[in-house]
Amino acid sequence: MTTAIGQYQYDQVDRDFLAARIEEFSEQVARRLDGSLTEDEFKPLRLMNGLYLQLHAYMLRVAVPYGTLNAAQVRAFADVARRYDRGYGHFTTRQNIQFNWIRLEDTPDILRLLADVDMHALQTSGNCIRNVTSDEFAGAAADELVDPRVHAEILRQWSTLHPEFTFLPRKFKIAISGSPNDRVAARFHDIGVIARPGDDGRVVFQIFVGGGLGRTPIVGQELYDSVPEERLLATLEAIIRVYNAHGRRDNIYKARIKILVQALGIAAYREEVEAELAQMDIARYRLSPEMVASIEARFAAPDLQVPAGAADILAEQRARDWVFDRWVRSNTHAHRSEGHIIAVVSLKTPGEIPGDVTADQLDRLAGLSERFAYGELRTTHLQNVVFGHVRQDQLYDLWRGLVEVGLGAPNVGLIGDIVACPGLDYCALANARSIPIAQKLGARFADMTLQEQIGALQINISGCINACGHHHAGHIGLLGVDKRGEEFFQMTLGGRADDQAAVGKILGPALPEDDTVDAIARIVDRYLQERSGKESFLETLKRVGEAPFKEAAYDTV
Amino acid sequence: MKRAVRVGAGEGLVITANRLLDGAIVWLSADHTWQTAIQRAEVLVPEAVVERIEGVQSRAQADGVVGIYEIAVRPEVGGPVPVTMRERIRAFGPTVHPQFAYEQQEGAGA
Repeated sequence: MTTAIGQYQYDQVDRDFLAARIEEFSEQVARRLDGSLTEDEFKPLRLMNGLYLQLHAYMLRVAVPYGTLNAAQVRAFADVARRYDRGYGHFTTRQNIQFNWIRLEDTPDILRLLADVDMHALQTSGNCIRNVTSDEFAGAAADELVDPRVHAEILRQWSTLHPEFTFLPRKFKIAISGSPNDRVAARFHDIGVIARPGDDGRVVFQIFVGGGLGRTPIVGQELYDSVPEERLLATLEAIIRVYNAHGRRDNIYKARIKILVQALGIAAYREEVEAELAQMDIARYRLSPEMVASIEARFAAPDLQVPAGAADILAEQRARDWVFDRWVRSNTHAHRSEGHIIAVVSLKTPGEIPGDVTADQLDRLAGLSERFAYGELRTTHLQNVVFGHVRQDQLYDLWRGLVEVGLGAPNVGLIGDIVACPGLDYCALANARSIPIAQKLGARFADMTLQEQIGALQINISGCINACGHHHAGHIGLLGVDKRGEEFFQMTLGGRADDQAAVGKILGPALPEDDTVDAIARIVDRYLQERSGKESFLETLKRVGEAPFKEAAYDTV
Repeated sequence: MKRAVRVGAGEGLVITANRLLDGAIVWLSADHTWQTAIQRAEVLVPEAVVERIEGVQSRAQADGVVGIYEIAVRPEVGGPVPVTMRERIRAFGPTVHPQFAYEQQEGAGA
C-alpha cells in the first residue's frame, strides 16, 4: 500500500495487533456458532468488534479515525459492500461507515479485508471511548488555527483499549477541532476539545465537558480554557476517571457524563478533576514535544503546488457553466493554500437516502481522490464526503466525475442537506422511520434555486430518543415517535451545533409523516415572508420568536 | 420482566426470532420449524404462547436462532400481518429499498 497523506501510517506493531485481535474474534465467532458461547456471553464480545444485530441482519460499524480515509480504504468499503452487503454503505453521524446486511460467519473475513488497508471496527460500540471525531476540513481550511489530526491521533492511541476505560458507565464520545468555527459539534460531546496556538506558540486546548444529545440534550460547559499540550492527556485522564468513579451505573438513562456534570455542577466537577490530577503521576502522562513530533512524522503532507492561473481557470469555468457555478457556491470551502479549494460531496441527492453510497459510487470517489485530491478523503458528521485539497484548475473535472455517478447535488448546508439516522427501516432501537420522511423532504425541496433562496437551513431527523440523527441540534429537528403503532414526528426549532450551540425547542404536538412534511413547507414559507434582508432562518427565528412558525406549522391541522 | 404483548380483538400472536448465522428474520411454523416467510407462521392464542416459547428457547442453539419473542398479528387473506410498523418492516423488508422486500412465497427453513 502506498503512503497516503493526512493519515497516521500504521507500522508492523499496529498490524500485528489487529491481526491478533481478528483471530481472537474469529475464534469467538466459531465458539458462538458451535454453541460453546451463549448469545448473552457472545453479545458483548461482538459489540466490542463493532457488530450489532439489527432488524434484518447483523450490522458492522467500521471506525473511520477522525474521518480520514485514503483511496485504498474506500475501495475496500466498495469491496465489502459488493461481496458481503447488498451493494451499499452508509456513512454515519460520527464519521463512520455501517454495512446493514452482514452475516455473522463472514465477519472475520470482512475484518481481515479491512485490516489489509489498516482499518478496524474496534470501539464503535460498547461503553468505551468511541472513535474520536474531528473537523472534516482539518489541515486544509483557511480559518483553521491548528491542524487537529495529530492530537486526534494521539487521543486515538491513548483511548484504544485503554484498560481503565473499557467498561465506563456508558459510551463516551470525544471531538476535537482546531478552528474557532466549530464544525465538530464540540459542545454536544462528552468531551469537546478546541485547539489553538497559545501565547508561546505551543498548542493549548479549550475543553468542554458534559455535552450530549439523546434523552437528555445538554450543551457542554467549559471546564478549562487553556490546557497546555503537555497536560492534555493527564487532564482527559482525570476527567474520565472522575466520571468512571462517580457516573451512575444503576440507571442507563442517567449514566452519561452530562448527568454527572449537571448533578455536581461544573465548579465541583473541576474540583474533582483537580483532586485527581493532584494525586496522579503527572510525568507519566506528560505529552512531550518529542512525542507529538513523532506522531506528526507519521503523517504525510500533500505537495500543494499549483500551476499559475489556476484561480483564473476556475473563474472562467464558473462563468461558462452556471450549473457548476451553483455547485461551487454551495459545496466548496476556502482552502489555506492559494490555488486550492475544499470540495464537499453531498450524499443527499434529492429523494435518495442520506449518507448512503453504492459500491460503484465508492469506487468512483476513490478514483476521483487519486486524480484530484492526493488520494485522500474525509467523512463528515453531517453524512457527506470531503476532498480536502483540490487544485482550483481541476475542480471542474472533479465535479463532472461526481455528476456522472449522481453525486453532484449542490445543496451542502442547505435545506436538502438532511441528516438522518437509519431509523426503523434498519435499527432495532428506533420507534419510527427516518429515511422516508427525509426522502419526502428532499423531494419537496428538490428545486435547487429554491434551496439557494432559502439559504442555510439544517434539518436533522432521528427515529428515536437516542438521537443518532442529532435532531436536537437541527435548525429544524424531527424526532420520530410511536403512537399506538403509528409513526408521528415531533418538531423542534432553533437547535444548532456550532460555537453558539443550542438545543432546539419543541414546537407543539407531534404530527403524522405527511402532515409533518407539509408543516415544514409552511414553516419555510413563513420564514421567507418574515425574514429581513439576508437573515438566515436562525436569525429570523431569534428576532421574531417561534410564534409565527408555530402558527404556520399547525395552520391547517 | 418482559411485558406481555397486547392482543386486540381479532388478533393473534406469532413467534419470531433472528437466524444466528445471518440475522435473517424467521417465524415459527405449526410444525415447529423456523421459516423465513411470515405466511408460514402459526397464529397462536395468547394462552399457548408461553409454553411454545419455552419449548423453542430450549433448542434455540440447535435450531440456530436468537432473540425469540412473540408479536401481535391480524389474520388477513394472504397470511398474518403484524400489527405494528416495526414488525411489518421485519416481516416484509425495509420500506426504502423495493429490491430488498422479502419474497413471501419462498419459505426456506432456518
